Amino acid sequence: MFSRNHRSRVTVARGSALEMEFKRGRFRLSLFSDPPEDTELQRKLDHEIRMREGACKLLAACSQREQALEATKSLLVCNSRILSYMGELQRRKEAQVLEKTGRRPSDSGPPAERSPCRGRVCISDLRIPLMWKDTEYFKNKGDLHRWAVFLLLQLGEHIQDTEMILVDRTLTDISFQSNVLFTEAGPDFELRLELYGACVEEEGALTGAPKRLATKLSSSLGRSSGRRARASLDSAGGSGSSPILLPTPAVGGPRYHLLAHTTLTLAAVQDGFRTHDLTLASHEENPAWLPLYGSVCCRLAAQPLCMTQPTASGTLRVQQAGEMQNWARVHGVLKGTNLFCYRRPEDANTGEEPLITIAINKETRVRAGELDQAQGRPFTLSISNQYGDDEVTHTLQTESREALQSWMEALWQLFFDMSQWKQCCDEIMKIETPTPRKPPQALAKQGSLYHEMAIEPLDDIAAVTDILTQREGSRLETPPPWLAMFTDQPALPNPCSAASVAPTPAWTQPLPWGRPRTFSLDAIPPVHSPRARSVAPLPPQRSPRTRGFCSKGQPRTWLQSPV
Amino acid sequence: PTPLPGQDVAPQRVEIHKLRQGENLILGFSIGGGIDQDPSQNPFSEDKTDKGIYVTRVSEGGPAEIAGLQIGDKIMQVNGWDMTMVTHDQARKRLTKRSEEVVRLLVTRQSLQKAVQQSMLS
Repeated sequence: MFSRNHRSRVTVARGSALEMEFKRGRFRLSLFSDPPEDTELQRKLDHEIRMREGACKLLAACSQREQALEATKSLLVCNSRILSYMGELQRRKEAQVLEKTGRRPSDSGPPAERSPCRGRVCISDLRIPLMWKDTEYFKNKGDLHRWAVFLLLQLGEHIQDTEMILVDRTLTDISFQSNVLFTEAGPDFELRLELYGACVEEEGALTGAPKRLATKLSSSLGRSSGRRARASLDSAGGSGSSPILLPTPAVGGPRYHLLAHTTLTLAAVQDGFRTHDLTLASHEENPAWLPLYGSVCCRLAAQPLCMTQPTASGTLRVQQAGEMQNWARVHGVLKGTNLFCYRRPEDANTGEEPLITIAINKETRVRAGELDQAQGRPFTLSISNQYGDDEVTHTLQTESREALQSWMEALWQLFFDMSQWKQCCDEIMKIETPTPRKPPQALAKQGSLYHEMAIEPLDDIAAVTDILTQREGSRLETPPPWLAMFTDQPALPNPCSAASVAPTPAWTQPLPWGRPRTFSLDAIPPVHSPRARSVAPLPPQRSPRTRGFCSKGQPRTWLQSPV
Repeated sequence: PTPLPGQDVAPQRVEIHKLRQGENLILGFSIGGGIDQDPSQNPFSEDKTDKGIYVTRVSEGGPAEIAGLQIGDKIMQVNGWDMTMVTHDQARKRLTKRSEEVVRLLVTRQSLQKAVQQSMLS
């Protein structure tokens, strides 16, 4: 057997001449001290430096807060890329120096470490749920606290960012449209995800003052200890565990704070949506603090190159199953988990069906050997697959020893890649090429609270009335006559007992201010009572929760809503 | 597809074509559950800490019933969006997007016998 440090399902007849050939043929691939690669990195570095200068100028010229936010974001992304590329260049130079002065590899040394193929890793449909407290809706009425957030993603030395999104109380989660693709990932990749946020309003403005005051009062510390606590919070807020982003230059622009982060690896890759935990990185004291639920949903897909690119091709003779002497000449293409045998080389590109397709997967066993019995054609390859109780073996012949050698090498590499990329090699995961992002639009799209209210004809009365009654409460001497229409519970027959529905009538429960409602009714059979028809659906009832950081309190209700 | 642990039947795909009712698109069922709700009050779940979204009733003859949705089904996904880790309101919104006339749900369902037992016990 070969001395390999990976489990191999490829065997060579022991003591055969072939085995000797292979051993000798395993020259170590020298690491190129590759000017082309480094030049590329240098070029990127120069580009980022230029971009950074541009961003600095733009930031200095900004008059509006939202523009400043975009410019600050660009500046920070540039800074972090510059650092990252510089670090990588340094690492490469060091590696080159070590190569030159290090021990010369010799044939008798241990065989070269096989390295897995690269792959494309794509993260998309990123969504971060928020969890607003009831009280958020009714404090600071009229001034809507807004945040600008974006995600920074790093894999290796590559850094990418999502678009910036403005968040306020009317959003239930932060959904990014971006599709972020990294093209040079190895199976041991670490994709670091960081969420940065900044206040849209000037920090220290009146908005937030009531909240801060309440916080101060409720968490009373002595003056000096309070000062110390605050100092330590401030310094801890930005540094975390070496976030990718650098602290803002003291330009007087908006300040982004790291809100949360997580690292995703191969284990998180799946052809579907998954939820991952976020490590929250800021406290309520931080002006940019957002009530994050603590998870992020996304689709993380990976396409190793061995699945999408052919890894070997050439002429083969394949023994037709069941027919001993009939060897068909084919053009074999090893791609992903199959060895396709086409009648003619052109067929591989024209989409013609191959003559035979042989599956190559984690369970396949491959054997190379010299058949003494076949004259003139000694270089054979056997590929065996288990189908239920049956074992099916295909025998192939290559044209020469070198050809057999290169097929075996390709198969070894494929098995190694499969063992490294694991679930990514079961089936090809679909990755959509990200469309180039539109440049950030100037503010006004995400307008004020009033734009986002999206009043629907049936909603406005209910929404306004609810707000009014909530605010005025007992101060209304004589409730307007039409108010009576909203005091009834809609007739919702449900198998649960009434205990699951909070006893208070609907109209005293707070409705989220300004949240657009999709007004929907069960229509079949039609609800006959005209009063019930005009009432908004049973509003999401939020039980009062305990205050405090990351309060996932004790919900008391089990709400039901018609859709 | 193989059944998930705790469920006796493999996940079902249910495609609901919403019905237009004046200004609105309705599906004809009700949901319960959510990460901000008290899961112990869910009469349909086997695991009383399950904060998922469940179908609490299905209107007779409505789009959901026609599509094969059943009371007690747990909704795992809506048009690819995850529903196992959402608040109640988020779930409602996912289902009632005005731009979508068709929703494809991925649901899991206990065997009929268990479902009957559950509803009788509550």
